Amino acid sequence: MKTMEVRIQRYLPEQHSEPVVESYQVPFDDSTSVLDALNSIKEEQDSSLSYRWSCRMAICGSCGFMINGEPKLGCKVFLRDYAAAGTLLIEPLAHFPVERDLIVDLEQFMQHLDAIQPYIIKEQANGVSEMTPHKQTPAQMDKYQQFSDCINCGLCYAACPQFGLNPEFIGPGALALAHRYNLDSRDEGRAERMPLIGSEEGAWSCTFVGYCSEVCPQSVDPAAAVNQAKVLSAQDMVLQLFRRKK
Amino acid sequence: MTYKTELGRTWWLKNSAFKAYMLREATVLPLVFFILCMLAGIYSLTRGEASWNSWVAVMGNPLVLALNALALVASLYHAATFFVLFPRVMPIRLGGKKVPDNLIVAGQWAGVAGVFVLAAWIFWGVL
Repeated sequence: MKTMEVRIQRYLPEQHSEPVVESYQVPFDDSTSVLDALNSIKEEQDSSLSYRWSCRMAICGSCGFMINGEPKLGCKVFLRDYAAAGTLLIEPLAHFPVERDLIVDLEQFMQHLDAIQPYIIKEQANGVSEMTPHKQTPAQMDKYQQFSDCINCGLCYAACPQFGLNPEFIGPGALALAHRYNLDSRDEGRAERMPLIGSEEGAWSCTFVGYCSEVCPQSVDPAAAVNQAKVLSAQDMVLQLFRRKK
Repeated sequence: MTYKTELGRTWWLKNSAFKAYMLREATVLPLVFFILCMLAGIYSLTRGEASWNSWVAVMGNPLVLALNALALVASLYHAATFFVLFPRVMPIRLGGKKVPDNLIVAGQWAGVAGVFVLAAWIFWGVL
């Protein structure tokens, strides 16, 4: 079996004042993912290594790391892809505070996600029973479906320099989900979400670097969602100008 | 205790996607030069024939020509990046169906070609 040098950024707050890089020799074949390599290191070489993972099939969104400087899911990339480079550097997701080794604190992202109300909001007491099915045509579903595949992995935040410069920026993932619900024909919450989306920390902080969409493992295209939200925000602004004149 | 690294001034040098983004944004610099040239031209037009002729002479300077040629290339590059982004930001639906991205991009380039033809028709023989 071939082996590869895997370098990992380590940070143990009780030992290190700042992160250090440690090197491991990992045996691999064509089916060894980066997550497999981490599991192998933890089981065979260093049990103190900490990282998040769960599903191993790019659905749970837990194992996001910077791999040779690019945000990727550890379970979705393979050591064979880095065999030519000969070395692999695994770091925690960029732009988030590091808690321990490869584990980052996603609290900021969670707060932004919560703030945009990523769920269907219905006006209450309109005389319709809650048991009434919310019908939707394929054309109505087609409008938002692309943006509904988000798995909250945070790779887009690690790819976004605007979030890196200003963590108050709502960011690509949360804004894409806000847009997903705004486009849903069953939702009535757009008016509640727009003030935040149209604020300085909302869509307008995006400068369309576009890297968020390149790294998205689900092809959600958050950059498109954020910039479509700018169009909605501009429409709202113009409409409000006319409303005030009345 | 968490550890947080701050983004330095050279953050954009770490990644080819960021470099491409900065190149796109930097296209504004030669365009500023072009706009200053245009404004100077309009101003010199109001100052009489001598002023206009000296502006025309400055515009013929090889360095000025080179900078304005760079501005043209920069604006075409910026247009190329913008045209690709456009269908993602403003998806167009006709009869319930999404117009293919390639068609929208091709339509925008047809617009550019149209402007070039119009400019050539107006200015041919004058220069």
